Amino acid sequence: MKEKIFFGGLMGMHARIVELLEKEESFCLATILGSNRPDIRPGQKAIVHHNGSIEGSLGSSQLDASLGRLGQKALKENKSTVVEMDSGLSVFLNVLSADAQLIICGAGHIAIPLSQFSQQLGFQVTVIDDRSDFANPSRFPDCEIIAEDFAVALRKYPFSPATYVVVITRGHEHDVDCLIEILKRKTVYVGLIGSRRRVRIVLDMLVEKGLSQSRLKDVFTPIGLPIGAESPEEIALSIVSELICVRRKGPAQARALRKAVGIE
Amino acid sequence: MMTDLEIFKKLSELKQQDISVCLATIIETTGSTPRAAGAKMIICVDGTTYGSVGGGCGENQVRSAALRSTLVTHKPEIIEIDLTDDLGTKGGDVCGGRLRVFIEPL
Repeated sequence: MKEKIFFGGLMGMHARIVELLEKEESFCLATILGSNRPDIRPGQKAIVHHNGSIEGSLGSSQLDASLGRLGQKALKENKSTVVEMDSGLSVFLNVLSADAQLIICGAGHIAIPLSQFSQQLGFQVTVIDDRSDFANPSRFPDCEIIAEDFAVALRKYPFSPATYVVVITRGHEHDVDCLIEILKRKTVYVGLIGSRRRVRIVLDMLVEKGLSQSRLKDVFTPIGLPIGAESPEEIALSIVSELICVRRKGPAQARALRKAVGIE
Repeated sequence: MMTDLEIFKKLSELKQQDISVCLATIIETTGSTPRAAGAKMIICVDGTTYGSVGGGCGENQVRSAALRSTLVTHKPEIIEIDLTDDLGTKGGDVCGGRLRVFIEPL
């Protein structure tokens, strides 16, 4: 039985969690904290997926069904919590999320502090630029670097389950090339830097190329939380603040913060 | 900061080296605490730690409970940490909240 093997060793469990974190956006790890049943012991674990299915049965279809429902609720609310179930079971439902991946399009002066800050905050960072003297390991230690045409690089790049993209290229044509490729894909966040004028030009060009207004509304532009940033480092900080806000509180909260100072 | 993926990769790596480890996970919080439910810290038997359940605030209590559970009882346990010391307390835990931490030897 698969479940028996699954429980057979915690090593197998950890390997399975690692495997899932590399391909799923999120799932729920249920850990038994307390139990009145001799066959269910504290520390025992099961995994609940978004569809309510379970890996690592509790040995009772009724308990599994109830755990599935509770796990789904925790996933929906994105909130780790302790629940009480039949048989005196107390269970910690831990929502585990994939590592956030940040793709930085444009390896200019803002990209350097942005890559440093976001790495420290737990993002896996990839930098793309068509200029190999900019997209260069000497400028971005510990980042994945792709020195290639933006559209070509983005088209073949595997987006993770939790991908954030920041578009800060040196010219509006490159912004357009990037966004055409990015907006075809599933992302958690897309941000575009630029003055109001440059942003308007880019968005108009994308509409001309047939992108829908509703998809373009998903792009955070001008980019970053409004903290009055001026220097490259300050701008990078304002961008990562927005990334954290989206990661922790969701895009609606980041929109609300912008709206509070009149950025729609 | 260590992500969930990094924590579980590190756990696998330590177990492969046959190192006795303990995982501490915040399961519930009330009031102000530095980290939310789900924050994790690995405690190795030599005292090395990876990840964090909130820095200075209460981490020493977690560390000693982890060593007790790994070396003595070999059983999971839940500990309650109170961060509501008065402001004047020297080196006190004054964040203002309480947390429950699940400690499991692995």
